[in-house]
Amino acid sequence: MMKKSPDQISAERLAGQVSATAAMHGDGTLIEDPAIYAPLVLNDRTFKDVSDTVCGYTEQPAPLWWYAAITVSSATALLAAVMIPYLIITGVGVWGLNNQVDWAWDITNFVFWIGIGHAGTLISAILCLLKQKWRTAVNRSAEAMTIFAVICAGIFPGIHVGRVWFAWMLFPIPNSNAIWPNFRSPLLWDVFAVSTYATVSLLFWYMGMIPDLATLRDRALRRLATGRKMPCVFMLPTGHAVELKFVNIDKIRAFVYGLLSIGWRFSSRHWHRYEAAYLILAGISTPLVLSVHSIVSFDFATSVLPGWHTTIFPPYFVAGAIFGGFAMVLLLLIPLRAVLPNFSDLLTLRHLENMAKILLVTGMMVGFAYGMEFFIAWYGGNEYEWSVFINNRANPAKAPYWWAYWTMITCNVISPQLFWFRALRQNPWVIWFVSLAVTVGMWFERFVIIVTSLHRAWLPGEWHMFWPTWVDIGTFAGSCGIFLTLFLLFAKFLPMFAMAELKAVMPAADPHDDSVHHSGHGPAHAATGGPGGDAHPGHGGGH
Amino acid sequence: MTQAHAHMGPHEPAISDQEYQARLDRLARHPALHEQFTRIRPGEFSGMQHLLLGVGAVGLALTVVGGFVYDIRHALAAYEIGVLAATAMALGALFFVMVFHMTNAGWSTTLRRQYENLAAMLPICMAMVGVALVIEIVSGGVLLRWIGMDPHSDHLLEHKSGYLNTTFLIIRFAVYAGIWTFLSLRLRGWSIEQDTSGDRWLSRRCRFNSGWGLLAFALSTAFFAFDFLMGMDFRFYSTMWGVYYFASSAFGSLAMLAVVFSFLKMRGKLGELVESEHLHDHGKLMFCFTVFWAYIAFGQYFLIWYGNIPEETAYYVFRRSGGWAILGQVLIAVHFFVPFFLLISRVPKRNPKVLGALAFILIAAHVLDMVWIIKPAVDAGGELAPMSWWVDVAAVLGVFSVLGFFLLRAAASAALVPMKDPRLEYALEHVNYV
Amino acid sequence: MEGVTDMSDAQMKPGTWARDIAMAIGTYVPGFARPPARFVSERGKPVHGIVGEFATPAAVYHAAEKVRDAGFRRWDVYSPFPIHGMEEAMGIRRTFLPFLVAAIGFSGAGLGLLFQYWVSANAYPLVVQGKPYGAWEPFVPIMFEMGVLPSAFAALFGMLMLNGLPRFHHPLLANERFLSVSDDTFFLCIEAEDAGFDADRIKDLLEEAGARSIELVEDDA
Repeated sequence: MMKKSPDQISAERLAGQVSATAAMHGDGTLIEDPAIYAPLVLNDRTFKDVSDTVCGYTEQPAPLWWYAAITVSSATALLAAVMIPYLIITGVGVWGLNNQVDWAWDITNFVFWIGIGHAGTLISAILCLLKQKWRTAVNRSAEAMTIFAVICAGIFPGIHVGRVWFAWMLFPIPNSNAIWPNFRSPLLWDVFAVSTYATVSLLFWYMGMIPDLATLRDRALRRLATGRKMPCVFMLPTGHAVELKFVNIDKIRAFVYGLLSIGWRFSSRHWHRYEAAYLILAGISTPLVLSVHSIVSFDFATSVLPGWHTTIFPPYFVAGAIFGGFAMVLLLLIPLRAVLPNFSDLLTLRHLENMAKILLVTGMMVGFAYGMEFFIAWYGGNEYEWSVFINNRANPAKAPYWWAYWTMITCNVISPQLFWFRALRQNPWVIWFVSLAVTVGMWFERFVIIVTSLHRAWLPGEWHMFWPTWVDIGTFAGSCGIFLTLFLLFAKFLPMFAMAELKAVMPAADPHDDSVHHSGHGPAHAATGGPGGDAHPGHGGGH
Repeated sequence: MTQAHAHMGPHEPAISDQEYQARLDRLARHPALHEQFTRIRPGEFSGMQHLLLGVGAVGLALTVVGGFVYDIRHALAAYEIGVLAATAMALGALFFVMVFHMTNAGWSTTLRRQYENLAAMLPICMAMVGVALVIEIVSGGVLLRWIGMDPHSDHLLEHKSGYLNTTFLIIRFAVYAGIWTFLSLRLRGWSIEQDTSGDRWLSRRCRFNSGWGLLAFALSTAFFAFDFLMGMDFRFYSTMWGVYYFASSAFGSLAMLAVVFSFLKMRGKLGELVESEHLHDHGKLMFCFTVFWAYIAFGQYFLIWYGNIPEETAYYVFRRSGGWAILGQVLIAVHFFVPFFLLISRVPKRNPKVLGALAFILIAAHVLDMVWIIKPAVDAGGELAPMSWWVDVAAVLGVFSVLGFFLLRAAASAALVPMKDPRLEYALEHVNYV
Repeated sequence: MEGVTDMSDAQMKPGTWARDIAMAIGTYVPGFARPPARFVSERGKPVHGIVGEFATPAAVYHAAEKVRDAGFRRWDVYSPFPIHGMEEAMGIRRTFLPFLVAAIGFSGAGLGLLFQYWVSANAYPLVVQGKPYGAWEPFVPIMFEMGVLPSAFAALFGMLMLNGLPRFHHPLLANERFLSVSDDTFFLCIEAEDAGFDADRIKDLLEEAGARSIELVEDDA
């Protein structure tokens, strides 16, 4: 038990190598030698560095770009605040829906957002169960994204019912005529699944944040105790900073973060139950992630509509959700990595490469499902099914929505293929653009599934095209604004990285190694000495 | 994002060869890697091997006898239950070997050789499937009834004849067998080569080949399942079918491997190379794929039940009537509820004997899964003779004994763990902390 | 240790259920006072315990092994992150939280199933797609969700309950030096409630274990 952990040595060695070879080898984490694992935190960071870096994002005054970004995003969010009341007052006719295409952008957006919302819980839960330590670099922001995406998702089914004041009928209670909701309807399962998912994700996110909120609390308390006053600064659009001299921001922080961290005091007896609870939450969230998007897929697949009824839908939707969710994580984090100080020490190129590989894998799963659907549409011999695939979707000569179908294929199946090449999946620019393509492609996937299946029924007399109105577009844009605004608020006010988890995967966290010279001082090594580290080679870690 | 992106060559070492060699030398002296734990002595399990070979021969002979006593369809179905269950297990093992390589998995290094051995049963399984295929073609369609049918006699068959024709079936079978033989033998071969050469770059070669291998695996497994299981009723179709067979194969392989580890541990092999910690994680995978199978099986059944479209629903209507319904309920119990409740707790996962015993239930469930798929397809005309079940038992036992014989032979032919794998040491220290 | 006065003869016996319950009520229920302290500091404040500060996980880990072997019961290690293997070093038994969650989760799923069956087959039977009223298949999704939702609540709130949280005031949190626990410092605290609390002995023990500073923590409440 006293041996030096393999993680430790490789990370130490690599952390030392980084500065010397950085110019040559990216950040030094892209190492392919099977003899070692790449380090998870770069540049020889100490525990304190991690706290300082992560807490710095919330404690330091927000940079100018943050004000610019939140101004734009909240202005966009306002669009939703205008569109939604307009829709409720006027009726769903203000959307481009018609008799034939009675689900379109509303449900497309719903499935799109709920899909995005899956990556957070996936990173937290599944990667936790699989002991993928690199998840610590992205799990917090991905979980936050989950919550915000689910909020955006919840808007659309809420308002698309038309008479929203009857929304209470979704609850499992009898209405005034003693009629109960129909438990055989997938739409009711959706209500349960999405609300359960939102709640559990929130609990999971919050639980993960408790120790980090306590860190923010303690830092504020220490500044208060030592009399170091932090400035409370606002930025004006002109670029001038305005300091509120009479506000001691740390008092507010100590109160708010103190309240949220409910007295967490980093006790090992608490940590033990905390880790057990975390693992349980991970264990139940994993099937939950699968169930939620499976249930969303049941909305379509339990019907007998050609293009909707196919048995692969549940796992196919889940893979697509993970795919789209990871793309969104990358879409947001790659720019943050570039603009926030020291972010790239915690989110290394190797992390990005890992996520690019997940994009490739899930993209292939989605491609597999597209292929299976197409093959079985032919193999099944059902001419209506085949007609949906050829005449409604794929054939440019016959299908009016062919461009949507081919956008989907290009973005979701073809673009991730770039990641077969090392140089491309290790380049943040390429990853970012592919992520953008995937995000677009996943939106189109839902559009293709919903609109192209609906727009032509069995009788040509029932054929209608769907075109969005300005209200459709405005509501969707507004939901993007809501999402980004919430994410920017999160980035400013809450810990963006799971500090406690990051520290726990750092080499210095290994209690079985006595040779770590941490930034600490004093007689730290009085305890039983192990045989020391030189007896062990460098490997281990989480890739 | 502005830093230079010159890229490290894929074969650029992070530590020097001397340093790596010194590490390997140190590792070679590790007491856990003593021959007593990592090698099967020649003839050590010969009694067991002879027994397996004997049971295999008798079982397969009885299957042939059954073919004459009842009919060829019954005997071939019995044989295919065994063969397709065994193929599924080997396929699942191949899948895990590739996933371990792809993810640079550390914890499973000491387990991986047994996965490789089970995967290396694929050529033998393919030979056995090949025998079935020859019988099918020579007899003009036994279980794959479309082989003997005139495509013009049925509208659907005519539509599908571009895919469902004997020539194409043979080509497809050759492709599946080729891909799987290559992957399973090469991945195991490179791993064994590393045992002596200590070349760390072989690990990277395995990883590289696992990349395209997983893609090829996904497609070939799905179409194999279409051809040999779904094709038993050419009218039936389900896009989930490939995923379903994959779920079964992952489930079956983990159960078989749990038996292997349990057996080796009880015979004093592996020692601290495979401890409760490793079995715990292996058990977690078993639990995971118990749930995954249930999810896929339910998803497929549920959507077909809900949609109630004739071509699809016939499959389940028949399997939900008469005795098959009871068998279906038993299947749900032993394939899901029993393993679910037994494996959810940490205690059975950490005890090799308990885990091994439990794995027998899972293997039985896996075979039952194939029974429930295949037998009702044969029984379509109600032609199942009473008391003919002994043929099925003989065939399944026969096939599995042959598999066991070759598996033991493979285990004895190389070290029981990848002796010089770069991540071996990581696996030695593997602990589940929470 | 100088300045710690032992008052325990006059008080409820330490380590008994009665004292523990009284202590819990005094801590969590407003309007109740905790039982009088066993030990009092120079300033006349109740003593919470003695804290040793350590610089590395390894140091505190080995110190924990020593304290465990010395037979203490009321003590704890504080670290910025969960230290792997600390349960063993401290001799903490596995929590029963998983069983609590399982009980609640399976009950939730069972009730969810019964409720749907009752509504669909009894309270408001409705023909949908020609399916039988009581068919189990459509009830599976909600049954699953009704298992997950209470489980998640049980996991989080069960964990907090067993940990005695929320608790906004704690003597340790009032100690400025202790607050660096959330950055990079490791602490070991042996509490005055331990039946074997002996200030001098503990000081020696922590010193021997390599604490870089040792401090008496008072309860200011």
